[in-house]
Amino acid sequence: MSDQTESKPLLKTDLGAKLTAPMNDAAESSEPHVLTIEELNLSIKRSLESQFSLIWVRGEISNFKAHTSGHFYFSLKDAKSQISAVMFRGHNSKLRFKPTDGMEVIVRGRISVYEPRGNYQILCEMMEPVGAGALQKAFEQLKMKLKGEGLFEAARKRPIPHMPRHVAIVTSPTGAAIRDILNILSRRAPWLPVTVVPTVVQGESAAPQICEAVLKAQKLPSVDVIIVGRGGGSIEDMWCFNDEKLARLIAASPIPTISAVGHEIDFTIADFVADLRAPTPSAAAELVAKSSQELTTRLQQQERLLKLNMQKYFKALEQKWQLLTKGLVDPQKKLQDLILRNDDLVERLQMAKDRALSERRYKLEILEKRMGSPQELIQRKVKELEYLTQRMNKGVSVSVERKKALWSKWCSVLDSLSPLKVVERGYSIVKKDREVIKSADQVKAGDPVQVTLAHGQLEARIEKVIN
Amino acid sequence: MDFEKKLGRLEEIVNKMEKGDLALEESLKLFEEGVKLSRECHQKLNDAESKVKLLVSVDQNGNANTVNFVPDEN
Repeated sequence: MSDQTESKPLLKTDLGAKLTAPMNDAAESSEPHVLTIEELNLSIKRSLESQFSLIWVRGEISNFKAHTSGHFYFSLKDAKSQISAVMFRGHNSKLRFKPTDGMEVIVRGRISVYEPRGNYQILCEMMEPVGAGALQKAFEQLKMKLKGEGLFEAARKRPIPHMPRHVAIVTSPTGAAIRDILNILSRRAPWLPVTVVPTVVQGESAAPQICEAVLKAQKLPSVDVIIVGRGGGSIEDMWCFNDEKLARLIAASPIPTISAVGHEIDFTIADFVADLRAPTPSAAAELVAKSSQELTTRLQQQERLLKLNMQKYFKALEQKWQLLTKGLVDPQKKLQDLILRNDDLVERLQMAKDRALSERRYKLEILEKRMGSPQELIQRKVKELEYLTQRMNKGVSVSVERKKALWSKWCSVLDSLSPLKVVERGYSIVKKDREVIKSADQVKAGDPVQVTLAHGQLEARIEKVIN
Repeated sequence: MDFEKKLGRLEEIVNKMEKGDLALEESLKLFEEGVKLSRECHQKLNDAESKVKLLVSVDQNGNANTVNFVPDEN
């Protein structure tokens, strides 16, 4: 306390002297008060911080750095000067835009001196872009960012089903929007099951709740289209639909999502990422009901055609039938014809049969005649057999006798030819070495020979050979 | 089969019958099927019981807990 009262005059002189060297003052005084650096910086700190405890400054941002701690460090400058600036996390988290280098801003804050280094800076508590409003700035920035990521591409938008099975509506259960939507749906698509997923939809703080509700809606079984929206209001009221997290949730939704925020002229980030933007909540309901109405029209048309085609088919059948019956003959008459025809055929068949039989009989007779009776044939054969037997018997005895005569003849021939018979008549047989001598050249003088006589044998020797 | 598929099948049947080269038995069969489909479609459309629910909570298994919902009139 006492320090502060003392520092007041010091501050005055200091400020008056600006940056004139205090050394000179001290040198002139007989008893100079020598300050430590710490004391000096502390006095400066006190004077500056009390003097500039609430200031508004306008300048351009440069050297902007968002530290990992979450604090922002940057400089504010104009054409001639600059000052260091800090915006702590507690304050910058409320910003709806991201400060960037070159941005012209007005900040509200206070001057703070960092004693250890002897430098001063402005601690920003609030920041507003100059020109467009902060909200507008933030909107444009997020829009550019998400667009850059391709989240608005038409190609990634899914079609809204023609005949939705179940629609989820993420909105306030008490607003005008839900009334409008349900009104239209009950009139135009009364069969469509609807689940209202309630959420706050007012103001900036509503965004996390809307996100949560959208997530719930996406997980509801059988839901195949989601409407997210609210009725009209101020830009601040609708700001929750410019939330980045919500935008990403909608973009990544597995279920086609229709945005329906405010009036026709109101555009939010949610509108850009949604698969379909409805200008109003009522319009969203109409979009959902519309294509299903087309389907019901189609259904009625097909039903009519189905019946018409069946009638046409029967008519054609009837005509065909009439045409055919005209060509049909009275079955009674046809039967009589058939009977007559049958009789005729039977008769002809009978005749043909008789004729064929008599023909065959005649042929048989001729053949029998040609063949004669079997008894005659047997008798003839018996006679033939007897005759043959006789012939055979005769033949056998003749040949036996003939063979006997032949045999005795041959016996006498054989007998007359026997060498013994010849020898009996006085001849003798001379053999040399068992060979019969028929010529004188077969022997020479001195050879032993055997002489066979009619009775007995002789061993002899050749005396002389006479040729 | 959902509504659109049923309607698509109905159109197919109508087209087949339109060609008119069907046997009586087959066209009767198709007609019967067509009538059945259109009746089912109508049933779905006319089923106008209160289908508007308010999601109250989602349990741990992800099952929705809902109540019938009628918005305030003002």
